[in-house]
Amino acid sequence: MNRAIPLGLRSAAVLAAASLAGLLMLLWPLLLSVEPGARVDPPFLFLALLPLVLAVVLAEFSEGGMDARVLAVLGVLTAVNAVLRGLSAGAGGVELVFFLLILGGRVFGPGFGFTLGCTSLFASALVTAGVGPWLPFQMLVAAWVGMCAGLLPRRVDGRAEIVMLICYGVVAAYVYGLFLNLSGWPFLLGVEVPGATGGLSYLAGAPIWENLQRFAAYTLLTSTSTFDSGRAITTAVALAVLGPSVLATLRRASRRAVTSRR
Amino acid sequence: MTRLARDLHPVAWWVWAIGLSIAASLTTNPVILLTVVGCAVTVVWRRRSDQPWARAFRLYCWLAVAVVVIRVLFRILLGGSHGSHLWWDLPQLRLWPTDLILLGPVTGESLLFSLYDGMRLAALLLCIGAANALANPKRLLKSLPPALYEIGTALVVAVTAIPQLADSVRRVRAAQALRPGPRGRVGRLRRFLVPVLEDALERSLALAAGMDARGYGRTGDLTARQRLVTGALMLAGLLGVCLGVYAVLDGTVPGVVAHPLLLGGVAVALIGLTHAGRTVTRTRYRPDRWRTPELLVAGSGLMVGVTGVLLARLDVVVAHPAPMSWPGVPGPVLVALLIGVLPAVLAPPATRAETRAPVEVAA
Amino acid sequence: MIEFRDVSVTFDGNPALTGVDLSLAEGELGLVAGRTGAGKSTLLGVVTGAVPRFTGGELRGDLLVDGVSVIELPPRERAHLIGAVAQDPAAGFVTDSVEEELAYGMEQLGLTQATMRRRVEETLDLLGIADLRHRELRTLSGGEQQRVAIGSVLTMHPQVLVLDEPTSALDPTAAEDVLATLSRLVHDLGLTVLLAEHRLERVIPFADRICLVADGRVRIGEPAAMLADAPIAPPIVELGRALGWSPLPLTVRDARRLARQTPLGVDKAQLGADRARLGADRAQLGADKAQLGVVVARGVSVAHGTRTVLSDVDLTLAAGEVTALMGRNGSGKSTLLWTLQGGRARRSGTVSTPAGDPARMATAERRRTVALVPQTAADLLYLETVAAECEAADEGNDTSAGRCRSILDSLVPGIPGDRHPRDLSEGQRLALALAVVLTSDPDALLLDEPTRGLDYPGKRALGSHLSRLAADGLAVLVASHDVEFVAQVADRVLVLADGEVVSAGPVRDVVAESPSFAPQVTKILGPPWLTVDEVVAARERA
Repeated sequence: MNRAIPLGLRSAAVLAAASLAGLLMLLWPLLLSVEPGARVDPPFLFLALLPLVLAVVLAEFSEGGMDARVLAVLGVLTAVNAVLRGLSAGAGGVELVFFLLILGGRVFGPGFGFTLGCTSLFASALVTAGVGPWLPFQMLVAAWVGMCAGLLPRRVDGRAEIVMLICYGVVAAYVYGLFLNLSGWPFLLGVEVPGATGGLSYLAGAPIWENLQRFAAYTLLTSTSTFDSGRAITTAVALAVLGPSVLATLRRASRRAVTSRR
Repeated sequence: MTRLARDLHPVAWWVWAIGLSIAASLTTNPVILLTVVGCAVTVVWRRRSDQPWARAFRLYCWLAVAVVVIRVLFRILLGGSHGSHLWWDLPQLRLWPTDLILLGPVTGESLLFSLYDGMRLAALLLCIGAANALANPKRLLKSLPPALYEIGTALVVAVTAIPQLADSVRRVRAAQALRPGPRGRVGRLRRFLVPVLEDALERSLALAAGMDARGYGRTGDLTARQRLVTGALMLAGLLGVCLGVYAVLDGTVPGVVAHPLLLGGVAVALIGLTHAGRTVTRTRYRPDRWRTPELLVAGSGLMVGVTGVLLARLDVVVAHPAPMSWPGVPGPVLVALLIGVLPAVLAPPATRAETRAPVEVAA
Repeated sequence: MIEFRDVSVTFDGNPALTGVDLSLAEGELGLVAGRTGAGKSTLLGVVTGAVPRFTGGELRGDLLVDGVSVIELPPRERAHLIGAVAQDPAAGFVTDSVEEELAYGMEQLGLTQATMRRRVEETLDLLGIADLRHRELRTLSGGEQQRVAIGSVLTMHPQVLVLDEPTSALDPTAAEDVLATLSRLVHDLGLTVLLAEHRLERVIPFADRICLVADGRVRIGEPAAMLADAPIAPPIVELGRALGWSPLPLTVRDARRLARQTPLGVDKAQLGADRARLGADRAQLGADKAQLGVVVARGVSVAHGTRTVLSDVDLTLAAGEVTALMGRNGSGKSTLLWTLQGGRARRSGTVSTPAGDPARMATAERRRTVALVPQTAADLLYLETVAAECEAADEGNDTSAGRCRSILDSLVPGIPGDRHPRDLSEGQRLALALAVVLTSDPDALLLDEPTRGLDYPGKRALGSHLSRLAADGLAVLVASHDVEFVAQVADRVLVLADGEVVSAGPVRDVVAESPSFAPQVTKILGPPWLTVDEVVAARERA
């Protein structure tokens, strides 16, 4: 199986460092330690930092030039994803982006999957006016979804492959929802001043376990049971029904686009 | 004499908007927030074009209102008030089977606190929405740094391909009605997703050939040494950012170490980015230039941003007023913030359909 | 200027080109001709660098441009020497406006701002597209897009221009424009042009040399000498061969002069009698079958928003007859087909078939009444193999298994069932789409531009299939701008302009009236002659 965007040792190292930085910026509510009585504000700085981190990874991937065919396929799949996202935006929880993102990552490899995750969400934000503070987080997590799809075991094929992709798709759909909820949680519900009693909001400086419980309750109530399940179900159904034929289509394209490259 | 319409450099708008959002993110003073929002809305109202992205600003306005409402409603719903000014005493409800308490007493302090907090997020949203409405996204993609040229091109390809996809969808849909096939919903989806995808991918190969034939990717290859330096810079920068973020979060590292570490990481990563694009020999046809209005617009945004930073450092009482007291703002601060509205006059008017169309000389 | 030295290409051990030696001088226009699959694209690909980089395969020999070997250079490093224009210009556009597209190549070469501005202006004037400079590429017509595509490589000032079927999707007038532009580039700038084309009749007057590709071998020479025994030839050459003209005429003007000098040897009266008998036969046929399934449209108008696309169109499709629909691109041909099929709503007017108005039918019933093959036949197909497509067609129509496959075999025998439909040749894919829509056993068959990408033998085969289908009682309507194909296959012609019918009637009458739709034989010998076959048959009888 070929990899459209080759991941050398160096790219992998950059990707790992960037993912770690991104993970820290996502998980900050669980890691933050505060002095008692101090005022805690969400770190808005991260909203500016994350785009830079993503830019470094993407620059690293395309360093030394990206093949014209890979670029064209990337552009076209990005467009399809943006359209699918636009189509499904209206219906609550119906989210079709993941399905093509996972298949794209599977066929073209983890580097391509990561890039496709970033570009898909960015392009759809550009055309549907969805640029906002949430965009860098969405791009990062979607990029992970695409990347991990590319890292799944290669040798599985046939029906087993589809089953594997469906399982992965369901997990990815929930994880995506969890991460994005986590990134929005302190912003939307505010940061609780230590000492106050409040059910669901982030309590700065509290032990990780306590905050995890609060977050679990928040995410369960708001989206895990509704939006995230909707996303998981649509992804699974789309992968089951359209997966085989779309995989075949993408593989044909990948054969023509990548194998004859020298 | 009227000023001639032209599109301002998109990056100038973004710098201005980021300056405003820095100021907004560092305060919970409602007067300051309203001032910043006022600046953003005025400039959008005066200087936006008639393009689709400009019309989307209304969406951001609704979203901002929704954010404030959600924030306040959550506060009331989830209970857990602090402070002494009791406004309403709602009955407490236990959410079975958890021990979560809903509703309960609502104090003025907690309500105003969440209102101000919500307004901060809303102001941030509106600033980004303003940049989105004012800056032409296609030209923004063209202003990406050289190191991101490939990704920028892929995005341009994507944005260009979307209308083609719509054409393709229409064609395939009509064509598929000409033959029998599965009638179920999912079967139908497959019937038209597959030809559309095939069509798009086939097109992408033609596009790649077209790009190759016109010299795409002709940039001189980097030497091994240059590659090494670029890679080292990027990696070091990212590691710096990682450590910096961790240091900022972990209270045991003093702020004197944490912030320079973070900034250093950012700086090294930025140098790596510029270095990666250094050997590029490509040029730009009719690039957007930085002229005086661009500098003035970007500068005004930065001034507002600096004002916000200074205020947060020097005068915490103004930046974060106590909820139940009247939020005051000193005159000089207000004047400094109002610099943010100047682009409404400083920037040239945006081009509109009537100014874009070629003018025919009357015979 | 461009020189092949013993170039050979093999794909997986199968030779595609063997020992090609040829050279084109500066300022020459070389036409690459040959049957589909003979290796024309491979030959062009060697010049552009797409072979072997994009296609795989093995390449031996040497290629020189201006005396310098370029065979080792990838396509992008050849961009300033060789300008390549692909078949579908719209698919190769990177940006979305005319000016940016023209500048794209120069940006990649790293030229200075001033140079870019100057060259864009020069190119806009040279190609006569200055008024399009701010337009979006998507909104341009086919001919305009093709000229922008040519301009977008010209700005890099290449020494050689390579074009793959630049006029295949264009109507005759737009094709003339593009070819005239090319000819001006050759004469004014001294550009060397290498061009592949199926419709030789359009290009031969402009060609200095012809490269004939057959079975991987390439011969090059003067057009007249090369065409004397070429396996593919435009009607003008076939006529010259049939009448023993020497040297072979290549332009209509030369041929006319020859026709005046050497009488046809067919009595005028005999010709008239032939024609009358032919007409009587057809009238008889028409009367016999007039009651069988016909599509009758009366006063049909269609609007798109506030724009009128079709106004007051009358049309009768009789069983057993092939009707051709002609007109410029954008004159409403496709819309008329979709309206007759029932998929497109009418503003006013009626369409009736023996089973009723197609617009009011359920889709399944509509398919049994009127079948349509759209312009891009591949839009109809969605499965992974030919066999699966055939099965799906059988199942959907509740016909016996194997019916679709047998129709396909009667059209083009021997397509492997496990082949992917997208990997088929243009002609095979069209046959598959035809078989799929014919499985529902319709009364009428509509085809939109079916001759795209077909060579002369391919068109001849399609023509005889259509004639046979008509003879089986089907009413056939073909939209096409290929005048030679129409002359060969059609009984009646309807010409649309700007949504209105400008002329309609038997093919001989309509074609004789309008020079732009007249086939070459009519232009040379005058009415009523349409095809070379007729002339040959008449001479044999005489």
